[in-house]
Amino acid sequence: MNSKFIKQAVLAAVIIASLVYYTTSEKDEAVVIQIAEMNWASAELMANVDKIILEEGYGLKVELVPGATETTFASMNSKGQPDAAPELWINSVREPLYKAMKEGTLHSENSNPITDLGEGWWIPPHTAKAHPELKTVLDVIKRPDLFPDKEDPSKGAFVTCPAGWACQLANANLFKAFDMEAKGWKLVNPGSAAGLDGSMSKAVDRGQNWFGYYWSPTALIGKYNMVKLDFGVPFAGAEHWTSCIAKEECDNPKQSTWAKSEVHTVVTDNLKKNGGIEVSNYFKNRTYSGVVMNEMLVYMGDNQASGADAAIEFLLTKPEAWKSWVDTATADKIKAAIK
Amino acid sequence: MPDFSGIFFNNNIGFMIDILGEFPAMKIGELREFKKSIDGSFSEFTGEYGEAIEGFFDPLLWFLVWFEKLLLATPWPIILLIVGSLAWAGSRSIKIASGAILAFIAIGYFGMWEDTMSTLAIVSVATLICIFIGIPMGILMARSKYAQTLVTPLLDIMQTIPAFVYLIPVVMLLGIGKVPGLIAVCIYALPPVVRLTNLGIRLVSKEALEAADAFGASYSQRLFGVQIPLALPNIFAGINQTIMMALSMVVIASMIGVAGLGVPVLRSISNQYLALGLLNGLAIVALAIIFDRVTQEYGKRLQKHRHGDHS
Repeated sequence: MNSKFIKQAVLAAVIIASLVYYTTSEKDEAVVIQIAEMNWASAELMANVDKIILEEGYGLKVELVPGATETTFASMNSKGQPDAAPELWINSVREPLYKAMKEGTLHSENSNPITDLGEGWWIPPHTAKAHPELKTVLDVIKRPDLFPDKEDPSKGAFVTCPAGWACQLANANLFKAFDMEAKGWKLVNPGSAAGLDGSMSKAVDRGQNWFGYYWSPTALIGKYNMVKLDFGVPFAGAEHWTSCIAKEECDNPKQSTWAKSEVHTVVTDNLKKNGGIEVSNYFKNRTYSGVVMNEMLVYMGDNQASGADAAIEFLLTKPEAWKSWVDTATADKIKAAIK
Repeated sequence: MPDFSGIFFNNNIGFMIDILGEFPAMKIGELREFKKSIDGSFSEFTGEYGEAIEGFFDPLLWFLVWFEKLLLATPWPIILLIVGSLAWAGSRSIKIASGAILAFIAIGYFGMWEDTMSTLAIVSVATLICIFIGIPMGILMARSKYAQTLVTPLLDIMQTIPAFVYLIPVVMLLGIGKVPGLIAVCIYALPPVVRLTNLGIRLVSKEALEAADAFGASYSQRLFGVQIPLALPNIFAGINQTIMMALSMVVIASMIGVAGLGVPVLRSISNQYLALGLLNGLAIVALAIIFDRVTQEYGKRLQKHRHGDHS
């Protein structure tokens, strides 16, 4: 055996040993909690605030993983990862979520993390001002001529959700229930979140009329002061909504107000059991008011701030909003850490 | 304790360490202002000229809408007949022509007929536009070195910049729908036809050009009678690539509201519908293969004709 071979063997052994040491030692250090960072601004902010508070206040190690309502929920439900979804809109996942909560694999820590939120159909403020008679959805759908479609100006354009979003099914069924096709309307698929945002902001910036689906709290709703329309009909009932309007096969959808949105902070059983009572209490106390949230979203839009930047801005400038979520000692620790 | 940090950092070595340790980037605030000012001036620009630019593209929109309606309104047997005869005319191959018809029958059978017609409409119009812009651009590049140095980096940008980056200004300017989708497709699909037209003309042999000059050919006779015909196989390869790239942009275009096979693909991505995604993806592949084989065979025939009986 020549010396070159021995040298290489020793080198390889050292590298492997150090790798093994490195990976095992990291495992011992701290349990990593995964928090879903959903792909919209308010959820990005919440995920990043949670990360800072849990890391600096409670000494946990938090990793943010990108997510979207359905995929994140599916992953939490089947694999128990990520550990927490700070802003989970449960309308589209209600049945499996309740089942998982009954079985104890998932827990809702907070059933109202943001106040005054909801989905619905919106028009720009200038349209509402120019046409004060447009008070409800029923009024608007009588006037397709006010919202002409670019590709077929003889029809009114109702901008729905991008294909594949859960709300797309509800919009399509309500479109059918209000008999909008016969009244001269067309469902316009914007293709993506960017398409939906672009179609709304282009219309509002140019003073054109726009009629479509959106939700609050969002930077665009805050920025443009969009007007949420009353549907002019009562809610058709949770049973009918979940079994028909929110489903692909719905032969006979009834006219209805949009279901009241329920947003929960959902955690896995693992985090609930092993995270400690303080973490659980923090999630329970953590409620953003709609006003504060909209302010933060407009800040994010104006400054092109990422969720991480906005979380620091929020913790620095609005201590009155979050101090009560944690005890005084923890609040001081967090304040000291972000200075 | 005395503070030595001032002394240390006044010293050159300290300064060097300071510079090398962290990249001398713009301050966060300055960078934010910089980005905001670009965004602000662009939104001012769209506010000022957006409507005029939109108006400029209106005829294109009408044509697209008309063409899509035409394809959708034509009874399916006639479309099959047209597809088959076009494939035959291009390739002179029974195999390719019958393959094309079978592929369309399968597409219709699996319920993708309407989406396929929408996709066909936008891809064919995009290809036509790319040819009308691309071939003259390629000729210009071949004739002028200056134009070539100017246009080449532009083509590089068009081919490599992520589509999402130019979707933002396109949507701000033109909203969502067919025209912005078409522009996005053309930005990506234009370069091959330009590049290969340029290459084809540059590859025309000197002898052929000398012969043309010797016969006293005028400028346009030289271009249209000698250079372009001899460059045709290359130009056709460019058109072939342009069609392929236009088809691959179908899904991206659907992200800004273009109807077609991209919409169900996007739906299947966000809902994890494997079969739906696969079927529509394969329909795009089928269209691509048909277009590719037909144009390639046509290109080959052009070449064969020129080489006479060498083969």
